[in-house]
Amino acid sequence: MTPRQKTNILLPLLLIFSIILLVILGTSVFRETKDGETRPVLNVLNWTSYLPASVIKDFETEYNIKVNYGTYSSNEELLAKIAGSKSGTYDLIFPSDYMVDLMISRDLLAPLDQTRIKNLDNLNPLFLGQPYDERNEFSLPFLLATTVFLYDSTKIDRLTSYKDLKRPELKNNLVLLDDQRIIIGAMLQAVGADMNSVKEDDLNASLEFFETIKPNIKAFDSDSPKTFFITNEVDAGLVWNAEALLAIEENPNLKLTYPAEGFTLSMDNYCLVKGGKNPDAAYLFINYLLREDVARRIVEEYPYISAVKNAETLPDAELKLILKNGSYVENVGADIKKFDKLWARYK
Amino acid sequence: MNQSPAPNYPQGRKFDVFKILFTAPVVIYATALIALPLLYIFFLSFLKSDNYGGYIFEFNLENYGAFFDSTYLGIFGKSVLIALIATAICLLISYPFAIFLRDLPERRRNFIMKLVMVPFLTNSLIRTYGLITLLRKHGLVNSALLALGVISDPLNLMYNNLGVLIGMVYTLLPFMLLPVCTAVGKVDQNLLDAASDLGANKFQRFLKIYLPLTRQGAFNGALMVFTPAIGYFFIADILGGGKAMIIGNLIKNQFLTARNWPLGAALSIIIIIFTFLLVRLYRKIGGNLDELGGS
Repeated sequence: MTPRQKTNILLPLLLIFSIILLVILGTSVFRETKDGETRPVLNVLNWTSYLPASVIKDFETEYNIKVNYGTYSSNEELLAKIAGSKSGTYDLIFPSDYMVDLMISRDLLAPLDQTRIKNLDNLNPLFLGQPYDERNEFSLPFLLATTVFLYDSTKIDRLTSYKDLKRPELKNNLVLLDDQRIIIGAMLQAVGADMNSVKEDDLNASLEFFETIKPNIKAFDSDSPKTFFITNEVDAGLVWNAEALLAIEENPNLKLTYPAEGFTLSMDNYCLVKGGKNPDAAYLFINYLLREDVARRIVEEYPYISAVKNAETLPDAELKLILKNGSYVENVGADIKKFDKLWARYK
Repeated sequence: MNQSPAPNYPQGRKFDVFKILFTAPVVIYATALIALPLLYIFFLSFLKSDNYGGYIFEFNLENYGAFFDSTYLGIFGKSVLIALIATAICLLISYPFAIFLRDLPERRRNFIMKLVMVPFLTNSLIRTYGLITLLRKHGLVNSALLALGVISDPLNLMYNNLGVLIGMVYTLLPFMLLPVCTAVGKVDQNLLDAASDLGANKFQRFLKIYLPLTRQGAFNGALMVFTPAIGYFFIADILGGGKAMIIGNLIKNQFLTARNWPLGAALSIIIIIFTFLLVRLYRKIGGNLDELGGS
């Protein structure tokens, strides 16, 4: 069996050869794309469906900067991308409240130099100094999302409290966000607890309350709960404000209200990644997004609440009320396991 | 699987070069994309979560212990139950289909088998979204039944366990059809003729001839339906309305929301061990069948 023994040498040789070939091919492909780009490059990671493509394109032509735009669909995905990538891969990201706090504590963000943001005055001061970054050292507010009730006013009486979700006419007629912290948080608020409470009593009470509305739940969906309303699948739900407004555009009978016991706030922020290669371009981009005309274009397409003063049509008094009655999801450390297990029991 | 006799290829260096040339991509692929990630998952499953998506290098078995918590065991039980029912439905559909197909002329048989394969040309996630258009409250199925006067209120075909089952059966049925059709096609016509001559009706022929002779094919198909059915979280999410949490969702949550990779890794390893045991069982049954056939 001498020929057989030769394979032992040939196999690794061939392996090495093919790897070398792959590396050569791979690098040559990469070089081509990089050499073709003479403009400075800004690496941005943002939520999916958050910035209209035309807004990015106009920035590129106006400032002659190439925007390398990537997306993520959860804060955890963003964290994995930032923590798992080489330093300098990304310049600008848009984490939400609790993720800003978490990223600061893990030393992933670079401080923001406010003096370099000329359009700082365009920001509504109501949105500054939020609990996750009180002095705005690392973050500036971009858009605010809130959870709201959405219901068909021709079929359902006005919803104002989580207790209304128990109504028998809502049987198999509700859509809720598929998010454990938000839904458990809402049930905690329903029983009079803080939405970030990790006390066993509170969590058990929330489960008990949830059991009473469970027969009414048709589905959990975070991707596109508005579709459930547009196709007449459900008549009521707890969804994001922008989803609610987009659904109302399709069906004016739909109405939006804020739960009386409280609701979830989710603020997305401009943050610079530590070690980013092109902070100059990042500051230019932030300034551009803070322009009134640009900010207005963004909320026209994705109707969240803009942190830019004149782009937002809601009066300050109402904004104050929203910020006062809503709560942010907070980091709960190891207690996150409690939420995860409870969520499995909820479902 | 059956042990086929070693093919009589010409021996020598030339053959070895070709052999390496053709196996090298598979070896590289399997090592880099299957073996190494699996080793990483195995390693990860003994570490401790730092609650922020990272891990602490501290050996512990806590993650495996967590599985035996009643909440997680319940989810595992439910996943197995859904997968079992889906497998049973696939079997019930496959046998009549295979027996019907067996009696067709070869050209028509091949044509129908091609039709079975057509859905594979589309991504299963997209096909699952397609099912929504059919199954929802004002979807095609309900509209048609309402128009025909069969029902007076729309049926709840999705956003419940029924929807999950429909999705699982729809997606996984071809994996059952192929082995069952092959096995049924191989059954000796003489046996069936003899049974008929001796007065066996269709049902008796199925019980006494088809079933024993095709058991291995059926088990093969069952394994290929059951195993993915435990983990297909996207079907549970889309057609179950996120209400039916199966073990696949639980693992996904550990990686994407609970930031507890070690627990997710441990749950994955448990599923792999479970699947491995099923394969062992399959081999055992397959072996027994061979012995029975030989005597």
